[in-house]
Amino acid sequence: MQAADRRDSIVLIAPVTAFLLVMLALPLAIDLLYSVSQVSFENLRAPTLQGFGNFLKVLHDGAFWSAMGFSLRFALVTAVAELLLGLFLAIFLAPILARWSFLIAIFLLPMMVAPALVGLMYRLILHEFVGVLPYYFVLWTGDSPAFLDPQNAFWTLAVIEVLQWTPFALLILYSSYGAIPGEIREAAAVDGIRALAQLRYIDFPWMMPTILLTFFIRFIDSFRVFDNVYVLTGSGAGGSTTTISIYIYEAFFKQNDIGQAVAASIVLLLLSFVVLVVLLRFARARR
Amino acid sequence: MKPSPLMMAVRWLVLVVAALVLNFPIISTLITSLKSDSEIASSASLIIQQPTLENYRAIFAMSDRFDMLHYLANSFISAGFGAVLSIVLAFPAAYAMVRFGTGERWLLPIVTNLRAIPLIIFSIPLYLIYQQVHLLDTRFGLGLILCLINLPLVLILIANALRDMPKEIEEAARVDGLGTMAILTRVVFPLAKPALASSLILSFIYSWNEFLFGLMLTTRAAVPVTVGASFFFSASGGDVRWGIAAAVMIVGTLPPLFVGLAAYKHIGRSMMAGAVKG
Repeated sequence: MQAADRRDSIVLIAPVTAFLLVMLALPLAIDLLYSVSQVSFENLRAPTLQGFGNFLKVLHDGAFWSAMGFSLRFALVTAVAELLLGLFLAIFLAPILARWSFLIAIFLLPMMVAPALVGLMYRLILHEFVGVLPYYFVLWTGDSPAFLDPQNAFWTLAVIEVLQWTPFALLILYSSYGAIPGEIREAAAVDGIRALAQLRYIDFPWMMPTILLTFFIRFIDSFRVFDNVYVLTGSGAGGSTTTISIYIYEAFFKQNDIGQAVAASIVLLLLSFVVLVVLLRFARARR
Repeated sequence: MKPSPLMMAVRWLVLVVAALVLNFPIISTLITSLKSDSEIASSASLIIQQPTLENYRAIFAMSDRFDMLHYLANSFISAGFGAVLSIVLAFPAAYAMVRFGTGERWLLPIVTNLRAIPLIIFSIPLYLIYQQVHLLDTRFGLGLILCLINLPLVLILIANALRDMPKEIEEAARVDGLGTMAILTRVVFPLAKPALASSLILSFIYSWNEFLFGLMLTTRAAVPVTVGASFFFSASGGDVRWGIAAAVMIVGTLPPLFVGLAAYKHIGRSMMAGAVKG
């Protein structure tokens, strides 16, 4: 590379680098500093270092662990459900979608709606007097469950999440399924292989990298869920639906505990790194 | 395999059911938004006796308490700004990475892996910084965050598109004596337009739909639609006008839905490409 190119290319990446330094590196530095400091709104510019007190407070907080547990369970359940449903729909509907590809647009729709607005829509849909679902439950079964009560809230929220994001799994897996080379299928057909065996020995192994990737993406996204849960139950339902994101939000905005909120953020960051490293290892091993 | 008619019928049935169930929130909310107050009170069924647009009119008649137009304008401006900025920052950087390998080893991984990190981690320091520099409750400040959120996807999409572009045209331009900047603006930019356009659209949709930072960083002046819509519920206390609430949500959903459907072919592909290669 010539010197002129080198100079030019540095100029080209300078803006985004500067942007990231301000918007990402600086906040990260503040996070790290505040997490080991005694800090409040009064001494933002001169926090006193105090060691790992904030971390101990977070790690001894039962609410932190139950938020962590909720997010993990939520992410696992929804990612698996989205994957299975998406896989089924992708393969089962493939003959239709391949011929009438405009129908794919129907499945893009749910992903275009803001999760926060979807959550608000369900406030209406699940409302005990004016909601559609309770109406039909009462009509057909004579009774309607209290969808957002502490004992039902987890599953209600999980179903809402799954309905919004199954299309994502469906579309990704459909394009992976469609990319299986025709010759492989034809060879299998010539050998008289049955449809189920074809799925088991040809389609699934071929799609496996995409299947795993879909799972990881959905797991990561659902783990940090905030919008739809917050607008539907907030920390309500007896605090039983506090996700880790809601925990951090409330530690800061409701309890004004900067140190605790920031320490919880750092713990979450470390966990994300662990997941990321596992994911990257995995991706490399597959290649 | 011969497609048996019966099997095809079952597939169509599954498709219709899946389409209805997955889109149920939108369908149901749309129906409610077209009902009158008295009809909503008398029956929550999915059948409308007398469709009316009264709720849509009512949204804009109550602008003294609930200013929907203001929220819409905020979303348009901050999401538009965030989306454009993400392209402006990512396009030159992606070019430098793909053609010169600058930052490909460190910057690209940092940005793309950002997708796996919950941004709420940075929200508290960002809030405090915004407080210090008076960016709280501004469209500009919210736009900056929206740009940050979309950078990973946009950078991946543009870098992929540039990788697939033939080098020869650029080399010919170089022989003709054009410098890097001229090549970027006059040769690469026109060729990359489709990729830039679909990145811009996706970035706009995701920005429009963002909620968490809108909730944290805005209070009045810059409140986006997603947050504003939630105000409608809290503002009306126990006595929510459900028809109007439904209309608010439909109106708030229409812009991304419309943009998304208009460009669904490109977006669908980009969404998947961004997910798979990211």
